[in-house]
Amino acid sequence: MSPVTAMYVAQAIHGLTYGMLLFLVASGLTLIFGMMGILNLAHASFFMLSAYFCYQVVAWTDSFWIALILAPIGTGLVGIIVERFLLRKVQKLGLGHIGDLLLTLGIALVISEAVKTIWGTESHQVLIPPSLQGLVTVAGLEYPIYRLFIIGLSLVILGALAFILFKTRLGMIIRAAVSDRDMVSALGINMPRVFMFVFGVGTLMAGVAGVAAAPMLTVFPGLADQIGLDAFVVVVVGGFGSLLGAVVVSLFLGELNSFGIQFIPRLAPVLVFLFMALVLSFKPMGFFGERDE
Amino acid sequence: MRKVLKSVSFFIFLCLTASLFLIGPALAGGEFKLEDMSDMSDFDPNNFQNPTGDTFKIGVLQIFSGPGAGNGELFWITTCWVAHDINKRGGIMIDGKKKLIEVIKGDTMGKPATTKKAAEKLVLEDKVDVLWGTSGSHLALVIQGVADRYKKIFHQSLSMSDSLMDEKNFNKYTFQTMWSTNQVGETTAYFYSQRKKEKKFYIICQDYLFGHSLAESFKKGLTKYYPEAEVVGEDYHPLFAKDFAPYLTKAKASGAEVIFTGDWLPDGGNLVKQARQLGVNVPFANIFIDEPNALSAIGPEGTKGLVNLNQYMGDANNEKGMAFGNKWKELWETKWEAPYNTLLYKWPGGTIGYAVETTYWMLDVFNRAGSSDPEKVIKVWEGDVYKGIGGNRLEMRACDHVVIRDTYATEYVYPNPWFTELSSGTEVFTIPAEKSMPVDGARCK
Repeated sequence: MSPVTAMYVAQAIHGLTYGMLLFLVASGLTLIFGMMGILNLAHASFFMLSAYFCYQVVAWTDSFWIALILAPIGTGLVGIIVERFLLRKVQKLGLGHIGDLLLTLGIALVISEAVKTIWGTESHQVLIPPSLQGLVTVAGLEYPIYRLFIIGLSLVILGALAFILFKTRLGMIIRAAVSDRDMVSALGINMPRVFMFVFGVGTLMAGVAGVAAAPMLTVFPGLADQIGLDAFVVVVVGGFGSLLGAVVVSLFLGELNSFGIQFIPRLAPVLVFLFMALVLSFKPMGFFGERDE
Repeated sequence: MRKVLKSVSFFIFLCLTASLFLIGPALAGGEFKLEDMSDMSDFDPNNFQNPTGDTFKIGVLQIFSGPGAGNGELFWITTCWVAHDINKRGGIMIDGKKKLIEVIKGDTMGKPATTKKAAEKLVLEDKVDVLWGTSGSHLALVIQGVADRYKKIFHQSLSMSDSLMDEKNFNKYTFQTMWSTNQVGETTAYFYSQRKKEKKFYIICQDYLFGHSLAESFKKGLTKYYPEAEVVGEDYHPLFAKDFAPYLTKAKASGAEVIFTGDWLPDGGNLVKQARQLGVNVPFANIFIDEPNALSAIGPEGTKGLVNLNQYMGDANNEKGMAFGNKWKELWETKWEAPYNTLLYKWPGGTIGYAVETTYWMLDVFNRAGSSDPEKVIKVWEGDVYKGIGGNRLEMRACDHVVIRDTYATEYVYPNPWFTELSSGTEVFTIPAEKSMPVDGARCK
């Protein structure tokens, strides 16, 4: 492979890696919105919280793999508690979206202060596990094993999610609830429990992303801001509630970021937002979103 | 007649001698003397005890809340250290009596509006004698405005923009002890021009005013000192970028021998970390990637070859500097608790070092002025020369109140006398002050 080709191929894989990471964060967000109608402003904070959990578990056990299991579960549990004891109560007050938005914004602020109180304001580092360190050479191109691992992990999660959504009864209920939750409820399905499950899974997905990103980034109180905005763009452009939209747009944004930096670096940071503005001009509900009649 | 003349001459001689004794200390530059330092064994940055009563008040303007609160922690320990030391020595002479030093926080939250409020509160409610800070030139500019309005001395210790003390922004109450972007650019270029090992440079900086002006200064420095060098590419990324891989892939493909970056943390640490993960082993010339906690995650191998440029640098061959450093380290090892027990605080090098050093200088200036009256302080500080912790010379240029000083560069190696967890500098290369000058600011042209 010539050096120039290698550079473009590397950029494409960088885009894929970032896109998949973005998908992990955005999928939970879109799932929660699609089914529950809640725009969870605390979603990126769950991502950050999981990165902190990961740091802590690694500090205790010295094992990234245990952290990969425990940190998302812990985050998911926090998500379940938030849904069961806070969101549900606020929704009963009948404040509509304003109530959800204010509550999730408050939760984001609480998480931000909590991590500072517990772990301090300094930066923390998580190391790549030894088995994922180093580079592999494919057709003359050297690429980090860890980044390939992120792609693989995301594909596994995507597969599992697709399986649950399209091949199980639970998935059928969730998809039905995205279309018409009142009808599903009328059929005798315990919707509050399904909501709790979805919110838990959504935050767990953010948790997986938090653990995956921790060794590439720095675990610090501003981590949530780093990825939250991009995840919202994915959900808006992909269409609220559309998992397919989240996959497609995440990958596209990943590539747009990589090749934007390669060819028009000065404009690269705004390309994502230009793209969003362009899409929304023609398809206000996003690529795969459906108009709510 | 001759007797009368003799008497008059003798009287004049006596007067001159007496006046020299009286105003001599104010005219002579100050000096940091390790032997004068008090016993600091009871210093606890987590429980700094402010004195009460008629004190000399320093208003420390920093980010003490939000994601950037680590910044506040960092400079809280430096000002408290100096205050504790001076207090144990009995304080400084202000208006004919010794006053102890009180340190008061002003939380800027990193925002201009909050910075203005915090600075005004310090001046009007807390009645501070001097304002101290802050990270971010846009915020420093706000404080300069407050200093000018209320005629309060502002020790501008942490912001680097060349324009802060230019014709437009200069005010006589502000004194900048932080080096400026032009000094960084010239320092870096001069270092590489002397080394002559690398010729191809790639610039990766943060996409805002500071990143761009730093890059411009570096390019200007190369033109001045190292014209045969080449900038093979430059990129500017958003603050708190997530993925540096696309930038690093471009840099690698460009054939660059050095990547110059002005990134501060966490961007700087993530940049190096991701470079090493990608197998990009090009050295980084940097000013802020010296934070040991971030570097320890990259490890000794990944941090080898980094070149750090700084205005203060721990030097194992500097006896005075080492003696001070060892005092600090001993307390770190035995006394301090979180957050001050991490590697970041192990040695008073880099950022910590110059903040401590210049705070000693500022208090020494007030002491020599014998007053907190800004006009008297200005007279002493303008053109003042101070000998820093390692015996280094600091000069406050009178025409624009910007520090002139030697600067330093070092290449990280392993093993080193500082850390076992990461590479660090052993050989310190001094760039003479005249080779790393600030731009001519107000009244200098």
